[in-house]
Amino acid sequence: MLTAITRAFRTPDLRKKLLFTLGIIALFRLGSVLPTPGVNATNVRLCLDQAQAGDSNNIYGMVQLFSGGALLKLSVFALGIMPYITASIILQLLTVVIPRLEALKKEGQAGNAKITQYTRYLTIGLGVLQSTAFVALARSGQLFPSCREAILLNQDVFTIVTMVVTMTAGTAVIMWLGELVTDRGVGNGMSILIFTQVIAVFPAELLNIYRLSPFKFVVVMVVGVVMIAVVVFIEQAQRRIPVQYAKRMVGRRMYGGTSTYIPLKVNQASIIPVIFASSLLYLPQLLVTIFGNSQQPNAVIEWLAQNLVRGDHPVYMATFFLLIIFFTYFYVSIIFNPVDVADNMKKYGGFIPGIRPGRPTAEYLSFVLNRLTAAGAPYLGVISLIPIIALAVAGASQNFPFGGTSILIMVGVGLDTVKQIESQLQQRNYEGFLR
Amino acid sequence: MASVADFVRRFLDRPGSVDLTPFQRTVERAGELEAEVRERAELRAGEVGTPEFCAVMREAARRALGQRPFDVQLVGMLAMLDGHVAQMATGEGKTLAGALSAAGFALQGKHVHAVSVNDYLARRDAEWMRPLFEILGLTVGWISETSTREERRDAYTKDVTYAAVSELGFDVLRDRLVTDPAELVVPAPQVALVDEADSVLVDEARVPLVLAGAADPGTAVPEMAALVRRLSRGYHYKVDQEGRSVFLTAKGTDTVEKALGVDLYQDPGVVTEVNLALHAHALLTRDVDYIVRDGRVHLINQSRGRVALLQRWPDGLQAAVEAKEKLPASETGEILDSLTIQGLLRGYPEICGMTGTAVAVGEQLREFYDLKVAVIPPNKPCVRVDEPDRIFATAEARQEALLDEIDAQHATGRPILIGTLDVAESERLDEALRARGLRPVVLNAKNDAEEAAIIARAGAQGTITVSTQMAGRGTDIRLGGRPADDDGTAGDPEGSVEESTESDVDESTERTVADLGGLYVIGTGRHDSSRLDDQLRGRAGRQGDPGGSVFFVSGEDELLTAYAAGESLPPSDPDGVVRHKRAEELVAHAQRVAEGVNLEIHRNTWRYTRLMEEQRTHVLELRDRVLHGDAAAEALREAFPDRFRELSETAGTDVVEQACRQIVLFHLDRCWTEHLGYLADLREGIHLRALGRLNPLDEFNREAAPAYRSLLDEVEQRSKETFETADVTADLADQGLKRPTATWTYLVQDNPFGSDWERILQRVAGTLKRRRKK
Repeated sequence: MLTAITRAFRTPDLRKKLLFTLGIIALFRLGSVLPTPGVNATNVRLCLDQAQAGDSNNIYGMVQLFSGGALLKLSVFALGIMPYITASIILQLLTVVIPRLEALKKEGQAGNAKITQYTRYLTIGLGVLQSTAFVALARSGQLFPSCREAILLNQDVFTIVTMVVTMTAGTAVIMWLGELVTDRGVGNGMSILIFTQVIAVFPAELLNIYRLSPFKFVVVMVVGVVMIAVVVFIEQAQRRIPVQYAKRMVGRRMYGGTSTYIPLKVNQASIIPVIFASSLLYLPQLLVTIFGNSQQPNAVIEWLAQNLVRGDHPVYMATFFLLIIFFTYFYVSIIFNPVDVADNMKKYGGFIPGIRPGRPTAEYLSFVLNRLTAAGAPYLGVISLIPIIALAVAGASQNFPFGGTSILIMVGVGLDTVKQIESQLQQRNYEGFLR
Repeated sequence: MASVADFVRRFLDRPGSVDLTPFQRTVERAGELEAEVRERAELRAGEVGTPEFCAVMREAARRALGQRPFDVQLVGMLAMLDGHVAQMATGEGKTLAGALSAAGFALQGKHVHAVSVNDYLARRDAEWMRPLFEILGLTVGWISETSTREERRDAYTKDVTYAAVSELGFDVLRDRLVTDPAELVVPAPQVALVDEADSVLVDEARVPLVLAGAADPGTAVPEMAALVRRLSRGYHYKVDQEGRSVFLTAKGTDTVEKALGVDLYQDPGVVTEVNLALHAHALLTRDVDYIVRDGRVHLINQSRGRVALLQRWPDGLQAAVEAKEKLPASETGEILDSLTIQGLLRGYPEICGMTGTAVAVGEQLREFYDLKVAVIPPNKPCVRVDEPDRIFATAEARQEALLDEIDAQHATGRPILIGTLDVAESERLDEALRARGLRPVVLNAKNDAEEAAIIARAGAQGTITVSTQMAGRGTDIRLGGRPADDDGTAGDPEGSVEESTESDVDESTERTVADLGGLYVIGTGRHDSSRLDDQLRGRAGRQGDPGGSVFFVSGEDELLTAYAAGESLPPSDPDGVVRHKRAEELVAHAQRVAEGVNLEIHRNTWRYTRLMEEQRTHVLELRDRVLHGDAAAEALREAFPDRFRELSETAGTDVVEQACRQIVLFHLDRCWTEHLGYLADLREGIHLRALGRLNPLDEFNREAAPAYRSLLDEVEQRSKETFETADVTADLADQGLKRPTATWTYLVQDNPFGSDWERILQRVAGTLKRRRKK
């Protein structure tokens, strides 16, 4: 992998692409720490420190993760890529419902260009909405409920409007940066930006741990590196089911079909089940926050508050683990439909040697897939639980930086990007005996 | 300011087009010089692109051909000299404008390859324009399929060489097999001037040119053809919605297994034979996809409606079709090398072109060739009346209305041109018209030879011409037409003559036809690209003539069933006509989907061939070094100094060097052929990688690059082995190479499964629709 990158830097056009991508990342980080006009940066830092010392498991957890800490800093790029991602998801869902969008989608490139255009408009819309919401929260002091400092320099309408406009413009710029990376850099722009935000918080958090205890720092680093290695290993693991295509007569030669196979991954579902499971586990927390204050304690709420809100409780951990396993099976069954795959293979003349196309093939595929997922689902569960267990064992209140979600995102995007670089590296230095 | 308004308009409706103002200014000034240049005894062009140059070119054309180029033709010439694609309507004199710019390039000392779509046009244009080139002191040559190697080499030494794009590609491919530098034919590419640029650069670019050799006798299995003939559609086998693939059902598998007595899916060989036979039987239709002539199967080029002489189906399909038609199997070959037209043309440092319909593909020309489109205004404004489509619910209603319309128009004496989508349809229509007592003339792939004559008469009063695809037919239709005895091959097929010496078109008949409304073009269905529709429409209303066009579309047309599947036309009125606005939208939508699909195929082909083309360039570099130098001898001397010395002493250094060259060339070519086979195999199943969340294109490149590296090792190892064991004094060339044939490729979609999201959405959508129906 390292050789690939050094070789990439020696190839002029790839070097250009890599430097371009790095430049965009630098710009992106700059915008993420640059405070929006009107924000009292000193007070925000004070409040952030307080919040970190307190209960870190707040409602903004996932959003904060994707914004690389920019959100609570109320920086220019506070909203991050979330509005764009949300907009794309909404539009993709709408293509199912609105016939006009469905028609556009079918028209290939020209139609998709229009859909992208709508996505951009919607992103701006969402940007206005979200930035207004956050600025309002900041203004009323609800952003950091435990902090008494004034976050905004002053409260007049002009300042508020400036802030909303700045953050919305920031969102638009991020969208553009992402597209620039996709077009002229390496990798998928959006993934690269998410990747950047996920790892951006590492240095600060590691430094925190180091300040507290160098020994803990070493332990955390060792655990982190081991986890990354394990995740890289398992993410690459696949079961190759050989497929043969029988539509062409290629003289007398037979190529054994070693390069034609269905790669079934051990972790076919990737990160989605973890995100589903943790989102679902915010629900009890939300319920407790809403109903917990009532004078007569409700038995159910009481139980929830005891067992499912605190991450270090065994019931919480067990629920989390089981939810992940459930969602893994659920999601795999949605994205990999053996019947569709078998039908498609049949249509194009492909078959698994020794197995009839159609239903027998589908049955075989789902058999293999189920057994693979039986290993993949617990793996996801364990990886996601490690940080929580570490919290419980260490009894430390600070964040454990190598969260399951972070590592899965990091490794996933990293692997994809390196593969893309490798694929572009291709040749240039073929050496043979003819000089 | 007019130019500002012009600029804004250009910006608004034709992004990416070229600003013509500087060219127009130059041509204006050339007009002032015209009288003076006319007096000159000798024509010297001066610097290319200046007003004087334009004036001289105009005078040259006047003296040599008796034609004075219009201003717009000169503007087109300047646009092409500047490296753009000129869009000029049919009948505006593209041929002359093209020849003028070819001459312009040649006067700068460059070799110009004027690329045309077929042999007939290459030859016609070269012969027709010869006087023009000669008066400017330039030489011109042409190449056709039947040209010998010497004729070709000779033609390539000329300043301007007219050739069909496929011939050019084949020459390049054949050159890569020579083992003696003296046998090379094609010089280094300099300028390509492409006629019918959209067709060549976009439509044809999808089809790789293939060099095949080492022929085996065909492996058609007549028993298989007989077997699949007994199967019935829907029960034993199914055809998918788009009509692109066919597969056995479980019942069909049982039947075939019983008939053959084998376990089908243990042995890929037998399955392949069955699949090929089934494909030939169920998906390819006689007179639509191919015709049988002189005991041979000839493919029909769908975008041209012509017989594609050099094209064959790949990988055993040809033999399967021959077995279906109970013909003897023709030879099959192994692919020695292949080259896409895009790869071929991108090899030219300078490229420009002309066509009637470029704007629609402007985006693709920019993406794939870095070309811009210059929209040349017509000499006289076009007054053709394009009627909106008439849409019918059923093909039957359409046929009825179509015949009535032809009858009605014919009664007035107006000439009618009917464009059909395939050969079979043109014949059905011919029959139906004859049943009504009309006398149509049919032009299709079966009687290409009479083409020019038929077209020449198509504008005469009272003629009905039924023709397949009009794109790339080159000749245009003059109102009033020409007498039947005209030989129709030479002369002035592309109009635009002011001082025409032609007397055979009678002024008064032309006026009569014009008074009737000019040529009336009827399309029996929309094509799957709006450009082809426009090409057909463009046959009427040339040079400011009156004319009209209309398309008759039915809900059962392939365009709608294949590309707007699942959507239905609004209900029709009692007379079978669908007048709802939504119908028009649906037809346009289907056409856009078809265009999108084709663009995606083009882009994919290019993505997947790009690495191969790079490797090919590298192989050719190595090959050149072996061919022109003694790289092979050096390498083998280094590997086996003793044997090399020993052999040189007995046989002479020259002989050994020559032998080394032959050995390495042989293995290089052999390994390349095997590499191509491997790549084709890899490509076929690479889309499956998407199921493991991998990007198929990245995966393809990641596998293809190491494969190429091992190819180079293989060449080394095999060459060494041969050198050690072979008798270098004996004849090494025991590998006879057969004449290359082109093939047609079929493509596997990049990711037919769609992304995760698409799969989820499909399922959700499916459930929703099912609910709605309940």
